[in-house]
Amino acid sequence: MAQSLAVRTRTSLDVIHEALGEIAARDRTGEVLTAVQRIPAREAQFAAIPSWAAPELAAVYRAKGVSQLYTHQSSAVEHVHAGKNAVVVTPTASGKTLCYNLPVLNAILENADTRALYLFPTKALAQDQLAELHDLATRLNDRFGVFTYDGDTPGDARKAIRERGHIVLTNPDMLHTGILPHHTKWMRLFENLRYIVLDELHTYRGVFGSHLANVLRRLRRIARFYGSDPIFICCSATIANPGELASRLIEDEVEVVDENGAPSAEKVFVFYNPPVVNRNLGIRRSYLNEATRVAKELLSRNLQTIVFANSRLHTEVMLTYLRQAFPSSPGRSEPIRGYRGGYLPGERRDIERGLRDGKIRGVVSTNALEFGIDIGSLDATVLAGYPGSIASTWQRAGRAGRRTGTSCAVMVASSSPLDQFIVQHPEYFFGRSPEHAYVQPDNLEILVNHLKCAAFELPLDPAERFGDVDLPALCERLAQAGFLHKSGGNYHWIQEAYPANAVSLRSVTSDNFVIIDITGNERDESAGPEVIGEVDFASALTTVHPKAIYIHEGQQFHVERLDFAERKVYVKRVNVDYFTDAIRYTQVRVLEIADSHSSSGPSERAHGDVLVRSQVVGFKKIKFFTNENLGAGKLELPENEMHTTAFWLTLRRELVASLPFSVSDRQGGMFGLLHALESIATLLLMCDRRDLGAAIGERPPNPGIEAEWEQVPEAAVDLTESKEFFEPNLYLYDAYPGGIGFSEPLYRAANLLLQRTHELISACPCEKGCPSCVGPVGECHEHAKEAALEILRRLNG
Amino acid sequence: MATAPKDKFANLKALRPANRPASPPIAEGSVQTMEPCDSLAEFLGAAPQHNRFGEHLSIRRWYSDPSSIDPDLESLRLLLPGAPPDAADPRRWLFLDTETTGLAGGSGTYAFLVGIAWWDTAGLEVEQFFMRDHSEEHSVLFELRKRMLERPILLTFNGKSFDWPLLETRFRMTRSIPPHPPLAHIDLLHPSRQLWRLRVGNARLSQLEEHVLGWRREGDVFSELIPQIYFDFLRTGAAAPLVPVIRHNQMDLRGLAALTRKAFSLLASPESEGSDAFELYGVSRILSRHGHRARARQLFGSTLDAGLPPELETLARGHLARLAKLDRDYPAATLLWEQLRCKKNASIVERTEACIELAIHFEHRARDPLRAAEIMRDALAQLSAGTKQSGPAAVRCRKLRARVQHRLERLTRKCLQPRIGAVSPAPFARQR
Repeated sequence: MAQSLAVRTRTSLDVIHEALGEIAARDRTGEVLTAVQRIPAREAQFAAIPSWAAPELAAVYRAKGVSQLYTHQSSAVEHVHAGKNAVVVTPTASGKTLCYNLPVLNAILENADTRALYLFPTKALAQDQLAELHDLATRLNDRFGVFTYDGDTPGDARKAIRERGHIVLTNPDMLHTGILPHHTKWMRLFENLRYIVLDELHTYRGVFGSHLANVLRRLRRIARFYGSDPIFICCSATIANPGELASRLIEDEVEVVDENGAPSAEKVFVFYNPPVVNRNLGIRRSYLNEATRVAKELLSRNLQTIVFANSRLHTEVMLTYLRQAFPSSPGRSEPIRGYRGGYLPGERRDIERGLRDGKIRGVVSTNALEFGIDIGSLDATVLAGYPGSIASTWQRAGRAGRRTGTSCAVMVASSSPLDQFIVQHPEYFFGRSPEHAYVQPDNLEILVNHLKCAAFELPLDPAERFGDVDLPALCERLAQAGFLHKSGGNYHWIQEAYPANAVSLRSVTSDNFVIIDITGNERDESAGPEVIGEVDFASALTTVHPKAIYIHEGQQFHVERLDFAERKVYVKRVNVDYFTDAIRYTQVRVLEIADSHSSSGPSERAHGDVLVRSQVVGFKKIKFFTNENLGAGKLELPENEMHTTAFWLTLRRELVASLPFSVSDRQGGMFGLLHALESIATLLLMCDRRDLGAAIGERPPNPGIEAEWEQVPEAAVDLTESKEFFEPNLYLYDAYPGGIGFSEPLYRAANLLLQRTHELISACPCEKGCPSCVGPVGECHEHAKEAALEILRRLNG
Repeated sequence: MATAPKDKFANLKALRPANRPASPPIAEGSVQTMEPCDSLAEFLGAAPQHNRFGEHLSIRRWYSDPSSIDPDLESLRLLLPGAPPDAADPRRWLFLDTETTGLAGGSGTYAFLVGIAWWDTAGLEVEQFFMRDHSEEHSVLFELRKRMLERPILLTFNGKSFDWPLLETRFRMTRSIPPHPPLAHIDLLHPSRQLWRLRVGNARLSQLEEHVLGWRREGDVFSELIPQIYFDFLRTGAAAPLVPVIRHNQMDLRGLAALTRKAFSLLASPESEGSDAFELYGVSRILSRHGHRARARQLFGSTLDAGLPPELETLARGHLARLAKLDRDYPAATLLWEQLRCKKNASIVERTEACIELAIHFEHRARDPLRAAEIMRDALAQLSAGTKQSGPAAVRCRKLRARVQHRLERLTRKCLQPRIGAVSPAPFARQR
């Protein structure tokens, strides 16, 4: 672009429409823009700063330009002032922090002993809030102390924080392992604990939420021990059941504040469906390439743009593409940056700053930038693929939106069924949120682990309440297993080990792999190995397996060695024209059937406990831009094992035998059906697609009996090699140990699930199957789509 | 679903028995299964002790060795800077050592045996409080608090970071018995490390007893096993394995008192009592750390005379050189640096550091940049050989080389400058 990327002269509907016109121009049919929704600007609705607010606090807020509150802020602070728990449901940038800072600071100014605990789902968010609170503290002549307390807090600072921190900002993990087990050191905080803030409440769902509910049970128990009964102030993105979620988490009544009084500027929300390039195969243009093209159009009109990708890999691929389009001019900083979890903290702060001051014009990010990290407000958002939930989509889109002018958000759909469903049913998205956040605080596996932690923290009285379980019986079982000892009516912890250390709130192990660049050794004697990033345990197997191409800030690295024991990955800088994609195999074994019944087909439906084993067995090399498959490699990596719950469908022998297709097509049909079932299940449950796993296995003769394990590929590729199924089980399992309560609702909604799946496949315009319905067709499964439909007809019959 | 709650629990990972298998069930009729309380007390040589918080067992012993000492305040302040004068009164001292249910700390770790000791006129009085189960903890803590009120100066071995914080937690957990913070707390761990680790190899109390005091513990229990012995006692009533635990705690207290005695006598008169060179070196370092430069220099001198192994001798000379520099005794310091620089068995890092010190001296104080540059060139040559190594030593060598190189470049510029520069009083440091 010839024009300078420094100052924008106009942001208006015109510029956006011009860009959209350009984006849509290539497609003759005009079908690519499935929705162009103009969300009008809205006026602020104000209420006065409450009269009970301390004058000096009101003055500080006035000095910061807040002379009135928005109506939702006002009702939130009034509820809290009246001693009630509250949950505030507001979009991005609506001034939610005031909803908790004002009542908390007011209470501290009234009584300097008052203490508050703020919980954020990540360390980075706590760091971000610290800046705002420090500013308030300075303006109030440091009449209160505010500190973050997390794994990075140096040992010598901890004591001071425990004594002097009026407000302690931390995360659930630190509360769980660092604060609660050492509560006697935090006596001052717990004796005076009046407020607990839970920000980003909607993130506490599924496994993480179920853990958090139990951590909060422990927290309330410790608070009671020190004689305090704190009020909860929660903030959530828009979901359908914020009140229900909050009261399940804190196990108390909660006032819901969901009338947003904040102003917002005009926004255009666009759904872009990449054009179909091969109607036979139902293949659409690559959504990554299309999203890149959209981003280029916006960037070239000098709109500061954030691009969200759904995986680290995609972040790096799109960053590579955009950097080629907008190279940095010599002597000036890079205008396009990447941002994701694996970057080092300093690097991240640098990017955040660059976005705020406008030096960085474009950023490609994972969900790491979805939350409240302060990057200012941008002009445009591009979402490469549906983020998996409506709440996430709005939060990401909320990253664009200046005070004045018009911002825009473009969601580019992938060919996954979920994406296709959303772009083709915009009313579903723009209407009232249908999303429910579920937690299962009484998941016994989770609960018992926290019960152990609770017993460590404070002897358990069998008469107390801890969730909806038979506590005396559980205590007795824990005593039999050698964890507890009954003495003086209470149960005491009798293990050397520290129970919280063995319990991770995030379901995956908390250890990370460190990525070490060893290129330097050869080129420059003085440059030693350098740590360039980190990757968590769960993604390590798929992203940094030996021979993988790991991409960091657009630079490719070849993985030389994966040291499992030391949790280290050694990489070398390379420059190749491909990236790698891991192939994973999954096996499921039924442990216990909770419920089952027979139905037409003939078939059976069931849900219950299963053991899921998965292993990364190889990888594919995929060429940049063309997505050609350049070959594959085999890998021998350790197996992952997980005990969880599943819903499954058994196709009886008679059903399978009656299908008028070849064995290979029957197999293809089953995998195709599973692919579609999984997509519809995530829609029905409104869960993230990563929360569910799918697998096929031969039905075991009896639950719990070790049957011959089937090697079942996760995707329907290379089916020719797999064994014939005579009576297969089609599993949809909760992708978390212990399950998070999806299996039973799926079992109950099985009819609906099968009907919707039938609609999805039969309505798909492709001929023989495509990624949007039964998945991509292989050469030998010509009739996979037909076979899947045939199975469904029998099941629905 | 018709699953009974009991079955629900059956599959839980979280309920799988703890790693360590429970001790084997004890045969019926065995003496150890369920002893009445007084016979347990008899077995352990203990007596029930009552207070308003309940009852626990108390065990008393008296030992003639080690006997009391008369510590001088100056030595005390080497161990505990700023100690109040009355802390030097041994009648107010209380030795403390606990046996606990784990090392991790946190509110679920209990001190099931609290041992204390104090000097009476002739010897050492040891008292131990044992809780037969968790309900007896409060009376144990109350008793401890009473003893601490009488003798508020605490002496421990690693008690600053372990025993005392753990007891503070226990006191706080009672919500009714406030901890009585010690007036002063002398932790013998760090001084012991300084004085004896070089000779003993580690600083475990039992090792120190053996190598410093010449005591030998017979049949001592592995301290790692102690928590499980107590858990087994709780579950099965097996009291016999507790006997060595109680003895272990008594030994710890006696050893602590004896080491205290030894440490004070060393600090008061290091060169008497046939102290070895390691001890002298340790005392010298303690003196130097607390700013007693003159005494430290004198003692480092004696240490070197007494003869140290080569690595330590290098370290001692290094310390001595630093002290001399602080005293502005440059002739002594340069002599030591020169010795270090040429020392065959000194490490490359040590030699280079001596070279840098010399270069600083010749550049800024002796105003002889040519000599300084020569030393730096020499150091650089030696370092080039050193960087061929690998590991952390190589990293340090690289850093040192950068420093040396930088200094050498500056010196070279300075040497090339007009002669007037050399006699000018302007400090060279300003050039940068």
